[in-house]
Amino acid sequence: MPSRRRRIEAPPGPIHEDSEHVSAASDSPARTAIDEIQQGFAASGYIASDAIATLVYLARALSKPVLVEGPPGVGKTELAKAAAALFDKPLIRLQCYEGLDEARALYEWKYGKQLLYTQVLKEKLGDLMAGAQGLKESIARLHEFDDTFFNEEFLEPRPLLKALWAEQGAVLLIDEIDKSDQEFEAFLLELLADYQISIPEIGTVRAKHPPLVFLTSNNTREIGDALKRRCLHLYIPFPDSRLEQRIIETRVPELEARLRGQLVSFVQGLRGMDLKKVPAVSETIDWARTLVLLHANELDNQLVRETLNVLLKFQDDIEAIDAEIPALTRSAVRG
Amino acid sequence: MTQVLSDFVKALRAADVRVSTAESIDAAATVETVGFAERGLLKTALSQVLAKSAEDKARFDDCFDRFFTTAELAALGAEAAADDAGETGSDANEPGAGGSGGDGSGSGDGALVQLLEQGDTAGLQRRMAGAARNVQLQNIRLFTQRGMYMRRILEDMGIEAVDDLLHALVKADDDDARAARLRELKARLVENVAELVDREMLLYTANAGTRLREEVLQKTPLARVEMRDFKVMHELVRKLAKRLVSLHARRRRVARRGRLDVRHTIRRNIEYGGLLFDTVWKRVRVDRPKVIAVCDVSGSVAQVARFLLLFLYSVNEVIPKVRSFAFSNHLGEITELFETRPVEEAVTMALNTWGMGATDYGGALAELERLTLEDIDHRTTVLILGDARSNYSDPGDRALHRIHERARRVLWLNPEPPALWNSGDSEMRKLGSCCDRVEPCRSLKHLERVISEIARTAI
Repeated sequence: MPSRRRRIEAPPGPIHEDSEHVSAASDSPARTAIDEIQQGFAASGYIASDAIATLVYLARALSKPVLVEGPPGVGKTELAKAAAALFDKPLIRLQCYEGLDEARALYEWKYGKQLLYTQVLKEKLGDLMAGAQGLKESIARLHEFDDTFFNEEFLEPRPLLKALWAEQGAVLLIDEIDKSDQEFEAFLLELLADYQISIPEIGTVRAKHPPLVFLTSNNTREIGDALKRRCLHLYIPFPDSRLEQRIIETRVPELEARLRGQLVSFVQGLRGMDLKKVPAVSETIDWARTLVLLHANELDNQLVRETLNVLLKFQDDIEAIDAEIPALTRSAVRG
Repeated sequence: MTQVLSDFVKALRAADVRVSTAESIDAAATVETVGFAERGLLKTALSQVLAKSAEDKARFDDCFDRFFTTAELAALGAEAAADDAGETGSDANEPGAGGSGGDGSGSGDGALVQLLEQGDTAGLQRRMAGAARNVQLQNIRLFTQRGMYMRRILEDMGIEAVDDLLHALVKADDDDARAARLRELKARLVENVAELVDREMLLYTANAGTRLREEVLQKTPLARVEMRDFKVMHELVRKLAKRLVSLHARRRRVARRGRLDVRHTIRRNIEYGGLLFDTVWKRVRVDRPKVIAVCDVSGSVAQVARFLLLFLYSVNEVIPKVRSFAFSNHLGEITELFETRPVEEAVTMALNTWGMGATDYGGALAELERLTLEDIDHRTTVLILGDARSNYSDPGDRALHRIHERARRVLWLNPEPPALWNSGDSEMRKLGSCCDRVEPCRSLKHLERVISEIARTAI
């Protein structure tokens, strides 16, 4: 899509959310690197705030894992995907859930292959032992062979091990860590601190290239201090209206500017209300797409009522907001 | 530079942000890559390394703003640049950074007058920061030390030379304008130093007073806590309850021996070629406790009722399933009140509505039985806060007994010291026989033990 390209090629410089920047310092190497990251993200359609770009820069500079917290739908998972695209590394994803264990996160033995191997061994055993005198000598001869059962041949790598084994480094996304058990959190510590993992039968597996690790959490439970201590920490809040406009602009370029402004200010107004679940950025994007499909060119009460179910996911919320729609629409249209 | 950073970490800790040693090492590495030059960047970067929760971030922002004022940061940046460029630069510009006090004074003395007269603000800033470091201003604890530190900083900066020059000028009597100007400049400098000292003191001691007060409050008997400490107490109780709950929040799983989990067993035994060798038992998840809390707010416990309610309110905030009741001669549910109103209002309303009557344990417990017996099951903890003084009427032990039979357990917290139990109209013995445990609950320390107990052994 050519129109989108054009838009992206001329970004209005990095977004400076803080007004505290000292202008003279904008040529420091760290600042340049951060700006580059920000522009790289923008080119792939992910609009990163200053804090996010700084985080990614620091994570690489200090080679530390990153814990990203924030309400659902503000782009925590997207961040990892965008980082993988930006640095051209494979994205390895581990979705956490209750009861996630080592066998599914780290490695498992290929039991079928091991069984087959036993069969083969049984057949060949006779040949090997030919000429051995007595039990003692047989065992001694058997010991000459390495422990062939438990080596990397028979190891089935799961996401974490895959990330350590990746030749060119990788981006490892451990999604929704708050959904996993506390035991699993403790188990991650070794990986996060030293980029290594101990497998009892083999020993320690060290990363060839430390992967860039993103952990995300929706804060359904408090993450342990030990884990937090090993990570950089970022809280991504809902974006302010300028940032959200830019996000919509990159994601749904077909939407015309005036309607985009109205839509964003409506959603921002909605976030101020007392709702069960306030709409996140992903919902704003969905809504923008819906409006494009409907060929809308201005917000009005009718349109909002018909499409509100894209933004709000609870019937209670939709009903509660119904009376407020005219006021919200009016202020959004007026700007 | 590391000195600055470790001072900052110290200030953060004083502001209740928990920073570990590992994290301060990370912070040093961060500063090395990011540099002091750009304030916004430094702030974002350090906040990602040092502050790891929403509250911590807020405290961090506040502390950062107070610690690194813009001017100071610029001075630091220049200093770092000078360090990078090597020690070849003129030493007059940075006497504080290298040698401490003694040897720098010779060339430095003249420089202070120069700095003042040339109006070199950045140089003065740097000089002041250096002097502050030399006299170890970060160790300031009491506001009575203010004058001493101010004088020492000024001395370290070489104020003596300025004074000498002033004297000479006045004596010589030839250059009045210069003397007047210098006097004014000196006054401004003293002002700046005073400001610096005040700021530092605020940074390092802001929380020391509160902390001391909290420590004392924890041990003070509830009856003797003053009304004006209500806010602090609330904060304290909430902190305590939250800590305990998060400590025990992990939902435990208990193996139910005797019930085989076939699916997991087969899965685990693949490695033994399908022989069921290593068995897995079905597990039951242990949920958070269900609590029914009852609080006596009658005249006899008027002194502590407020704090008992405060405690209930905090328990309500941190444990999800709590039903709260208050009673004196009648009993009423206050769960909704607690859920919808802010703490002070809720507590006052509960006291006004249900409090100050003559206690009627018999009636209240019967009422409790009527209201909640349906809801009480093997997972419910019933918590009663009261002195068990029933004005010589029916203590209601039969009703309590019936509740006890259904509930997982009944805990009684008595704000009176154990020596007074069973004296006069106290029916602790009778009522206590229907409880699993009776505990004195006279200060926050006691409360802490009790909540911990509830959270830990909950099933």
